[in-house]
Amino acid sequence: MKSLVIIPAYNEEKSILNTVADIKKNAPDFDYIIINDCSQDKTLQLCKDAGIPVINLPINLGIGGAVQTGYLYAKKNHYDYAVQFDGDGQHDAAFLQEMRDYMNAHDLDMLIGSRFIEKEGFQSSSLRRFGIRYFSGLIRLLTGKRITDPTSGMRMVNESVIKMYADCYPKDYPEPESVVAVLQAGKKVEEYPVVMRERKEGVSSISPLKSVYYMIKVTLAILVERIRRKEYKK
Amino acid sequence: MMTVKLQIIVGICLFLALTVIVYMIKKRSLDLKYALSWLLALVFVLVLDLFPVLLTKLSAALGVWAPVNMIFFLGFCFSLLIIFTLTVMLSRMAERVRKLAQAVAMNEEKLDRMGRELKKLQEEKE
Repeated sequence: MKSLVIIPAYNEEKSILNTVADIKKNAPDFDYIIINDCSQDKTLQLCKDAGIPVINLPINLGIGGAVQTGYLYAKKNHYDYAVQFDGDGQHDAAFLQEMRDYMNAHDLDMLIGSRFIEKEGFQSSSLRRFGIRYFSGLIRLLTGKRITDPTSGMRMVNESVIKMYADCYPKDYPEPESVVAVLQAGKKVEEYPVVMRERKEGVSSISPLKSVYYMIKVTLAILVERIRRKEYKK
Repeated sequence: MMTVKLQIIVGICLFLALTVIVYMIKKRSLDLKYALSWLLALVFVLVLDLFPVLLTKLSAALGVWAPVNMIFFLGFCFSLLIIFTLTVMLSRMAERVRKLAQAVAMNEEKLDRMGRELKKLQEEKE
C-alpha cells in the first residue's frame, strides 16, 4: 500500500528536519514530500542538502494551494493513502501507522486526527477551543456528522478523496471547509484520537487580528459548501 | 437641461479618454478585448453629450429629474459592471496562476528526481 505524507512548509527551517526524522523513525513505510511554499528562510536548502524530496512552489500559494500540490503529487504517483502532516513539530508520526490500520479496518475514506476525543496533550487556547467547538456545531447542524476537531491539520485520506482534493481544494483556512466537502460527497469520515504538541517553532497562520475574518470566512465557506452538495454527488 | 459649458467640458474629457485608450491599444498595453467595453461606453456618453435631447428624453422616461444626474447614474452603473467583471476575471486568473505554479513545481521535482536517478545509474555503471 503506497502511502504519502504531505508536509506543507513555510519558513520551517528550525523544525523541518526533526519532522522528517520523526517520520523516518516512526512511520518508515510512508513516503513523504515537503511542499515548500516559497519560504524565505533556509527550508529549501536544508531539505535539498539532506536529500529530502521537496516540491518547491515558485510563488507563495498559501496553505490551501500548498497542500493541494501534495494531493496532486499523490494522484499523479498513484498513492493509495495520503496524510497531511504539519512541518512545525505539532504532529506525532507515531500515529500514522495506527491511523492507516484503522482506516483499512473500517473501510474509511477519511480519518481526522483529533485532539479532543481523549483530551490529551496540547489542547489549544480556550478562545481557539471555542472557535473549534463553534465549527464543530455548525458542521453537525449542516451535515449531521459529529467532528470534534474540524480544524485539525492531521488528516489521512484514501485514493478517492485524494482525487477530489487534487481537483478542488479551498485556498485559505481550508480545513473545516474541506471536511464538509468530503462529507457532502457522501464519503465515510471518522476521527481518531491523537496527541498533539504545542508548536515549538514558528507562528500559527491565524493571528488574533485575523480570527474574526477567519470565523466569518469559514462560516460562509461551509454554508456555500453545503449548497454545492448536488454538484459533488454527480 | 445641460448647459453648453458642461457639454463642452464633458466632450473634452471624453475626447481625452478616447485618445488615451486608443494610444494604449496602439502600444499593446491594453488588450482590445477589454478596451472594447470602455470604447462602447465612451461612444454612448459622447452621443448623449452631442445630442442632449436624447438624454432629456431618456431621463424623462426613467423619471430622473435632472438629465445631468442621468449621466452620473449611467456612469456609475457602468463602472460597477466593469469592476465586477474585473473581479470575476481576477478570480479566474488567480486559479490559473495557481495551477501553473503547481505544474511548474511538480515538473521541477520530477526533474530533480530523474537527475538523481540518472546519477545513481551512472555511478553503478562505473
